[in-house]
Amino acid sequence: MSATQLAAPAETGAEARRPARRKAANWRGRGWRVRLPVFAVTTILALLVLPPLVILVRTSLTDYSAPGDDLTLYNFTSLFADPLLYVSAFNSVLFAALSTLLSLIIGAVVAWIVERSNAPFKRLAVLTTVISLGTPAILYVYAWVFLLGRAGPVNATWRWLTGTRDNLVDIYSIPGMVLVEGFLWVPLVFLLCSATFKRQNADLEEAARMSGANVFDTVLRVSLPMAKPALLGLALFIFIRNIEAFDVPVLLGTPGGIKLLTSDVYLAMTRVPPDLGHSSAFAVIMILLVSVLLYFYGRVSRSADRYASVTGKGFRPRPFDLGRYRWVGGAIILLNFLLVLAAPLSAILWNSVTPFVRPFSIAALSNLSVGNYTQVLTDPYYLDMALNTVIVATAAATVAVALTAVVAWFSVRNFPGSQALEHLVSLPIVLPGIVLGVAMIQIALRTPFGLYGTLWLIVIAFVIRYMPYGMRYAQPGVMQIHRELEEAAGIAGAGQAGIFRRVVFPLLSPALLAAWLFIFLLASKELSIAILLAGSNSKTIAVAMFDQWTNGQAGEVAALGMIWTVLMSCLAALMIWLTGKDKKSEGTL
Amino acid sequence: MKNVSTSLALAMVLVSTTAANAADQALIDAAMAEGQVVWYTSLIQDQAVRPMVAAFEAKYPGITVEAVTGKSTDLLLRITDEVKANSLRADVHHGGGAAQTLIAQGMVAEFVPDSAAAYPDDLKDPAGLWTAHVVNFLVPAYNTDLVDEADAPKSYDDLLDPKWQGQIAWAASMTQGGPPGFIGTVLGTMGQEEGMAYLTKLSEQRIINVPANQRVTLDQVIAGEYPIALCTFSHHAEISAAQGAPVKWIALEPMVTNTVDPIFLLAGGPNPNAGKLFIDFVISDEGQQVLADAEYIPANPAFRVGGVDASPAAFTLSPSEVGSHLNDWIKVYDELFK
Repeated sequence: MSATQLAAPAETGAEARRPARRKAANWRGRGWRVRLPVFAVTTILALLVLPPLVILVRTSLTDYSAPGDDLTLYNFTSLFADPLLYVSAFNSVLFAALSTLLSLIIGAVVAWIVERSNAPFKRLAVLTTVISLGTPAILYVYAWVFLLGRAGPVNATWRWLTGTRDNLVDIYSIPGMVLVEGFLWVPLVFLLCSATFKRQNADLEEAARMSGANVFDTVLRVSLPMAKPALLGLALFIFIRNIEAFDVPVLLGTPGGIKLLTSDVYLAMTRVPPDLGHSSAFAVIMILLVSVLLYFYGRVSRSADRYASVTGKGFRPRPFDLGRYRWVGGAIILLNFLLVLAAPLSAILWNSVTPFVRPFSIAALSNLSVGNYTQVLTDPYYLDMALNTVIVATAAATVAVALTAVVAWFSVRNFPGSQALEHLVSLPIVLPGIVLGVAMIQIALRTPFGLYGTLWLIVIAFVIRYMPYGMRYAQPGVMQIHRELEEAAGIAGAGQAGIFRRVVFPLLSPALLAAWLFIFLLASKELSIAILLAGSNSKTIAVAMFDQWTNGQAGEVAALGMIWTVLMSCLAALMIWLTGKDKKSEGTL
Repeated sequence: MKNVSTSLALAMVLVSTTAANAADQALIDAAMAEGQVVWYTSLIQDQAVRPMVAAFEAKYPGITVEAVTGKSTDLLLRITDEVKANSLRADVHHGGGAAQTLIAQGMVAEFVPDSAAAYPDDLKDPAGLWTAHVVNFLVPAYNTDLVDEADAPKSYDDLLDPKWQGQIAWAASMTQGGPPGFIGTVLGTMGQEEGMAYLTKLSEQRIINVPANQRVTLDQVIAGEYPIALCTFSHHAEISAAQGAPVKWIALEPMVTNTVDPIFLLAGGPNPNAGKLFIDFVISDEGQQVLADAEYIPANPAFRVGGVDASPAAFTLSPSEVGSHLNDWIKVYDELFK
């Protein structure tokens, strides 16, 4: 049934939708039994998302240069009064679009090869993803500066070979920034695309092959169109994150004299007192833009039935035989490993064994030391922080995944009253970390119970921040599950709770586990919120790294980063191994 | 009559010096009753904060120090938000930019620690709102692998040499310890007109704005990313050079920048007495020794390595001057260097 729909989506899509929705309202029931759970989830989401949003709007209307209680449009007018606005807007869009494209191409291609083909080195791709997700971002960006900067090995070799004083690559440029930002998001794309490709029905691809299509035609005309809503949602998501990204534009753009929309926002926040008005006004405008983008995305995801490939029939996908192109697939995985993981990691490793920051050189080999490692491992202080970090990341990932699983199901299945859910859960992506952090401080200070300065405040902030990420896994996951399975369960007498627990949740679990791991790894290295909300006893490892970094202990930070990366990779491996025993979620990663 | 007032003054001095040796028992008792002090600090965690906490707690058992650490801008945000919500958690804070912002909003309490008696006047606020606990010298530093000592700039004019175009970096930190402090020094030593002419010429050198703090910028010089950086802390270069890093700082002629880091008591904090006792401890000989051991430059000249003579000729940006001019200097930065 789904096959016919997929083969001819244009004809069946439109008519299939309308009766389907009417039917949904009928068989899922009416009245409070269906509305109450939706209402409850909406309330929880609103309580989480709306207060920071209200505070954001308020801050955007506060003029920090002239303290007072009056609300003003000053931040908005100054934002638009910038004479270089068009230049920086153009730079931002160019940067965001190219980086998104880069991470999508690399991530999706590698994911397809790993999930759907018989290429070698598949485990290497998973390893690359997990380890690079565990690597703190501050180290990752600086590792690239170290590799491609003026003093880096690439330029040094070039100067040595040519005898000139010129450099081969300039990392402080738009291409340099695109490269680093693009690589930064490859793991997310890989994980999300894997979750999508894993559950694609192989029948269609095989049918295409049997009808004489070659590998590329099949991918282009069957595999890719089937993954369209997932890819589109993902692209939109990463594009938004890139537009509002601070670190790469600031760390690489500022020294290169390249102005992006976020450069000024960042500068305003580093002033004393920090000017949050500017960044909040920017975030408000972003929310408006994102709402427009989400509207268009919503139109794609509404025709979800067309993309369902997990149906009542046997749906275990079978790998694609690449034939003589097997080695190409293997080479791509290898290249991905080298670029996304091996190169930056080796720079971090080098920094961790040199007593001070210095370029790669033969001469420096003579005074390598493990001093930084003994320093980190013998300091009992780090143990507390590691524990804090694991608690925070585990709690945040669990809550965020649980919430988004339910939200995705309600919203994809168009439960009555679920229209606001998708919007609510997606909104936090536009909140810059520091803005969310400040909002959480203001909220915590006004709660009667002692939330301020505790780990739980950080957990709540992380749940808000990472819900959109969870949604990016859960929503395409639900879309791929055909409604007929739920209908069958309903006919067999299951209630909605039973359907979710026994049909949707098990089928969704590979996507949810991937989401959990992703959020866990991301939360464990998040800095901007953790540093703002940390009390004296609620510091996380990322905060410790930042402390040491700004204090000139780059070597110790690198050593800590290496140890942390190993630890996180072991945790991830343990999780994959544990879930691997469970047949339902076989091969989550 | 004159004699009476002299002896009275002498008696007061005597009282205050005996108090300097040991903080007032009444204050200690009141602090003990509070049992803790909350210190918001951007000093380096493991080298300065933890030893300071340990030393204080050892001297005054029964009072614990809650040290909340972070970037100075983040901490300032928290303090302002706490005050707005009427639940200030911090007792003690420090920092040049923060001091002026908080004083302007009436958030700093008057307190002159007894142990500040020995400090020179320019390290204390005339109104009694703060006392310096750390000072810094902002100097250029260069990578000795990339620049020969003979070629390194010696004076402000040397920085204008065309060979340095696009080669000089500085931390784009809008504080007294960053470009605004440099601009303030130039304007202060050369005068407004000549100073502006100099800065305009300097801006043609296309100074690279590094979006990080002074320490990270210095690390980039050490790594060879930039041959020279302005506005780095002299003691950082010394710490790294002692570890073998190829870096040296320059006592730029005629004068480098000297900034002071004031420590102060917040008005309306939960533990005012313990806060006072803690500030007194940081300013005292014991506290200054902890900072010296942490390789900061203690405010008390007696605790500076090599004594005052080892310090370069410097133009001091007093906190009150920073308070009234910082925004003007930032404006110059925005016009010429941003």
